[in-house]
Amino acid sequence: MLAFERSNTPTIAYVIEPRFSGGTSAAVAAELPVAAECGQVVVHAITSRAFGTNQHVSPVLRQVLDELNIPIIWDAPRISADFVFLHNPSFLKFQDTLGTRIIARELYVITHENFLRPGGAEGFDVSSCLSQIEASTISLRKTLAPISPFNRSGVVDWLATSRVARQWDVLGSDWFNICETEMRAPCETPQDRRGRHSRPGFEKFPVIADLDSCFPSHSQCNVILGADALLNARVLRAHWTLLPFDAITVQEFFGMIDFFVYFTAPTWQESFGRVVAEAVAAGKVVLTNPDTGATFGKAVLTCQPSQVDTIIVDLIAQPQKYHDQVARSQSALQNYSAGKFKAMLSGVLCADSEVNK
Amino acid sequence: MIYVEVGTRSLRSFDTQLIFAEQLAARGFSVCIDADYLPEDAGRGRIYEAAKFLVDPGENKAQTVFVLGAEAIDDFLLASLRNKQLDPSVPVVATGRFMTQQSYIAAKARLAYALGREAQVIDLTDFQPRPVLPSTSSPLVADVRPVSRRSKRVVPNVTLVLGSMELDNPETLSCFSRMSSQSGYNLKLIVSGAQNEAIKASPFHDLPTYLYTGLSPLTLAISTDILAMFGNGIAGVRMAAFAVELIATGGVAIDCTDDEVLMSSGAPALLGPKTPFALDGYLIGNVIGNVPQIVEQASKSQWLHTVDISRLETAAGLMAKQRQEEQDKPKTLFFPTNGVGLGHAQRCSIIAREMPDTMTKMFAAFPSCVPLVRREGIDCIPLVQRTDTKTNSDGNDVLTYRRLGAVLQENDTLVFDGGYVFDSVYRVIRERKLSAAWIRRGLWPEGRSRQTMLRRESVFDRVIVPSEAFDELNDAYSYGDHVHYVGPIVRQVEQSAAEKEQLRTRLAERFGRDFKQLVVSMLGGGVASDRSAQLQAISGMLEARDDCLHLVVTWPGSTVQPATFGWKNTRVVQTLEATKLSLAADVVISAAGYNSVLEMLYHRIPAIFIPQSAPYLDDQERRAAAMADRDLCAAITEREFMTLERTVADWLDHDGAEFYRSALNGFELPKTGAVKAAELLTELGARI
Repeated sequence: MLAFERSNTPTIAYVIEPRFSGGTSAAVAAELPVAAECGQVVVHAITSRAFGTNQHVSPVLRQVLDELNIPIIWDAPRISADFVFLHNPSFLKFQDTLGTRIIARELYVITHENFLRPGGAEGFDVSSCLSQIEASTISLRKTLAPISPFNRSGVVDWLATSRVARQWDVLGSDWFNICETEMRAPCETPQDRRGRHSRPGFEKFPVIADLDSCFPSHSQCNVILGADALLNARVLRAHWTLLPFDAITVQEFFGMIDFFVYFTAPTWQESFGRVVAEAVAAGKVVLTNPDTGATFGKAVLTCQPSQVDTIIVDLIAQPQKYHDQVARSQSALQNYSAGKFKAMLSGVLCADSEVNK
Repeated sequence: MIYVEVGTRSLRSFDTQLIFAEQLAARGFSVCIDADYLPEDAGRGRIYEAAKFLVDPGENKAQTVFVLGAEAIDDFLLASLRNKQLDPSVPVVATGRFMTQQSYIAAKARLAYALGREAQVIDLTDFQPRPVLPSTSSPLVADVRPVSRRSKRVVPNVTLVLGSMELDNPETLSCFSRMSSQSGYNLKLIVSGAQNEAIKASPFHDLPTYLYTGLSPLTLAISTDILAMFGNGIAGVRMAAFAVELIATGGVAIDCTDDEVLMSSGAPALLGPKTPFALDGYLIGNVIGNVPQIVEQASKSQWLHTVDISRLETAAGLMAKQRQEEQDKPKTLFFPTNGVGLGHAQRCSIIAREMPDTMTKMFAAFPSCVPLVRREGIDCIPLVQRTDTKTNSDGNDVLTYRRLGAVLQENDTLVFDGGYVFDSVYRVIRERKLSAAWIRRGLWPEGRSRQTMLRRESVFDRVIVPSEAFDELNDAYSYGDHVHYVGPIVRQVEQSAAEKEQLRTRLAERFGRDFKQLVVSMLGGGVASDRSAQLQAISGMLEARDDCLHLVVTWPGSTVQPATFGWKNTRVVQTLEATKLSLAADVVISAAGYNSVLEMLYHRIPAIFIPQSAPYLDDQERRAAAMADRDLCAAITEREFMTLERTVADWLDHDGAEFYRSALNGFELPKTGAVKAAELLTELGARI
C-alpha cells in the first residue's frame, strides 16, 4: 500500500529569492520550462533580508514566468509539494529563520553559491542557512544539489566537517545551469584581441599583477567590461579599454575580442561560470584557471595568467588550431542543454524515496 | 612601514585610525595612513595629529597592514588594499566587532577578494564582550604599563569630560570655577564645541577648556592623573580611547556617567557622583589621598587583558621595540617666532650665549633668522614661513610641528619667544612631555585679547618676561611663581672712536663717495607699517646735501620698496650689524621696537623714533613716548612729515642730537637681564 496518494505528475514547488540579479535567477529561469514539462510547478518567492522588503523580480525570471503563466506566491506560510527545489540557500545568510513551513516528499537545495572558497574558508554562513531550512522542513529526504565539480567539492568538504552532515544527502549528478545560447562561428583569422566580462565586484578580478599579465601592452586590444572598480580606483593602463558594467551589450563586447581571458581573485571561484559558456557560444576561445575550467572540460583552455601570452601567440599563428578549439568548445556545451537537464531532472523525480512501500 | 586602514571612511573612523597609529608609533613602530583617508572636514586638531602619519600612495612599502572596523567594509578599502599589491609575506590583520557569524565570514571574504589571499580577522567581541564604546570601529586597546604620572607635578591633574552634560544651570559653571580655583588639584575640562561656546560666552570664560580634538587621547592620558567622565554614555571614540589609555597606564578613572558606562564595561573605574556639585568633595575626600591604593587595585583587574595592544601586535607578528632607555643628551631648543624682524631670534641668541657651553643648545627658526643664529655658532633647524593662502594658512605651523617633534624628545627643553603660542609649540610640549619656557615680551597693544594670548600659558614651566627700560611700561599679564621678570635683554656691541672712523671710511669706499654726515634709517621692513612715504621724505630732503650719505638699513631678506633705490645719496644696506652703523651715524631714525629702543638706549645713541603700529605688534608708541618724556629721544608720529624734516635738519645742521645725547649719558640704565634669563633656562634644563 502506498504511503500516500500520488498523481502521475508530481507537484514541484520552487522556493526562490527572485531578486537575485545574476546567475541564480538566470539558471532558474532556464530550467523552469523544463521542470514544467516534468510536473506541476508552483513558484514561491521569499523576501529575504538579503534584498530588503521590495517585491522586485529579476527580469529574466519575470519573462519566463509570464511565458509559462506561472504566478509567484510571495512569502506563503506553508509550502507543500512532492518536490521542493530551494535555489541558493545563501539568501538566508542575513536572517535567523526561514519563516515558511515546507512539507515535501523530497527537498532539494540547489547550492548555487559555493559553500567554501578556494583554500577552504567558508563562503557564507552555511550552517545558519541550512539550519533554517532544516528547522522549517518536514520531508523524507533532504538533498544538497551541487551545480558544478568545484561547487560539489565545497559541499562535500563542508559536510565532512559539519555536525549537520547526517541531515543531508548530496545529489550524485550536478544540477548544472542550462546553457542554450545560439552558437556563433569563430572569426576567420584570430587576432590578439583579448577581453573579459564580469560584474565589477572585487572577487571577479585577479590581483593587478595577474591582470597585467593577461592584458599586456603588446596585445592588439584589451577590453575589460565591468571595470567599474578599476575605474574608481584609477587602476588605468593606456593599453586597456575599461568599460563600466552596462556600457555596451555583451554582443558588442564579444564583437571586439577573439580571446576571452577570465581569471578571478584566487580566493574566489565561480560556482558554475555562465559567462564562460556565453563566450564559448559566441565563438571565442576561453582561457581560464583550472578550477573554473573543470566545469566545462574541453570547452576551455586552462592555464595560469603567466601562460596566457604563449597560448594566444600559438593560436594566432595557427588559425586552424583556433577553429578546432572553438569547435571542440561548442561541442562540449551540448552537455548543458535543456535535454540533458531534463534527463537529470527526470532521474531526480523518479528516484526511489527509500521509504518502505 | 605599518599601514593603518579602516573598513569605512568617515570622520569617526579617521579618529580610530589616528588613535591606533599613535599607539603603535608610541610602541616604537613606523606607522602611516594613506593621505586619501584625510576627511575634508578633519578640522585643525586632527590635521596636526594626522600630519606625522599621512603618506601619499606608493610612498612607503607596506610591511604590515592593520584594517580597523572590518565589520563594515567599503570598496575604498578594497581598492586601497588591492592597489598596494602586497607581497604574500606582508601580514594583514583586520579587527572588527561582528554581531553575526555571517558578518565575520563576509568581512573575511571581502578582504580575501581584494588581497588575493586570506587576511587574519580578529573578532573583538571574543575578548571584549562589553566594550566601553560598542559602536566604534576602534579596537580600544592600549599599551598596558605603569607610568610614573606625577614626577614633575605637585598636585594631580584632574580632567573632566563633560560629555552630554547640559550647561543650562548657571550653578554648574560656577561649580567648575570654584574647583578650578582651589589648590588641591589642577582642573581641565574637555568639552564639545557647543559647550565651549557657552562657557566662553559666560562670566566663567577663563575656565581651562579643551575641545575633543584639541589633543590626542594619548597626550591627554599622559597629562591627566584623574579622569572624571560625565554625561550619558561616552562622548565618542576619542574619549573612549582616552579612558582606556589612562586606566591602562595607571591613571584613575571616575565614572560619573548617567548610565555608568565605564563600570558596566568591567573597567576598573571608581563609581563617582553623577553631579559635578559633589565631585570636589569626592575628589578631596576619597580619591586624591588614596591614588596609589586605587591604582594598585585597578592594576589587578582582568579587564586590562582585554585592552592589551600586544594581542594585536602578536597577531601581526610584530615585536614591540624596547623603549629607548638612553637618549641623546638633553638639549635646549629655542624657537623664536619671526614677528616683523628678527627681534625674537636676536633676543634668544643673546640669552643662549650666556648659557654654559656644556649645555646643548639649538634653534628652530624661520629662514630670515637662520644666518643670525648660525653666526653665533649654534645649530639651527630652518622652519617654513607662514603663507597667507586661503586654503591652508596654518600649513607652515603643521610643518613646524613636524620638525619640532622630530628633533625634541622627553627631557629636552623648549624655549619659545613670541606672542601667540602656536599649536605646534603647545602640542609638542604636551606630547613630548618637555620642559618649557616662554620668553614673553610685554607692552601688548590695547585691544588685544589677553585671554587668547594667555590661554596656553599653563603649558610652560616658566615664563620669562624681559623688562622694558622704564617701569611704567612693565605691565603684568599673569601672576605666579612661574613668572620671572628679568632686566632688559639687549645686544651690546663695542665700537671705539677709531673703529667708528674705519667704518665710515669703509662705507665711503663701498659706496664710492665721500661724505661728512651719515644718516641711518631703520623704519622696518614694511610688514607691519608701510614707511615708504617717510623713507621717501627723508631721502628727498637729504638729496640736496652732497656731503651726506643716507643708509636705509633693514634685516637681511627684508623687502625693500623699489623707489628707495632712486636716490643718489641714499643706499640700502641689509645687515645684522645695524647697531654698529648706528654708532657710526650722525643721525639715526628708527622704529621703536623693543630691540631698537634698547640698543639706542644702552649704546646711548640719540635717535628719532617713528613708532610702528599694527594689531599684532607691541605698543611702540608707548615705548617711544616713555623715551621722549625723559628727553632721551625725539618721537615723531607717522603723519608728522614737517616735524620729521625739521628735526632731521636740526640734528644735521645744528647738532640737535646733542641735547638728547647729554640726557642719555646721564640716564641710569637698568641692569640687563640676559644672564638672569640664561640662569633660569639653565636651571630648567638641569631640573630633569
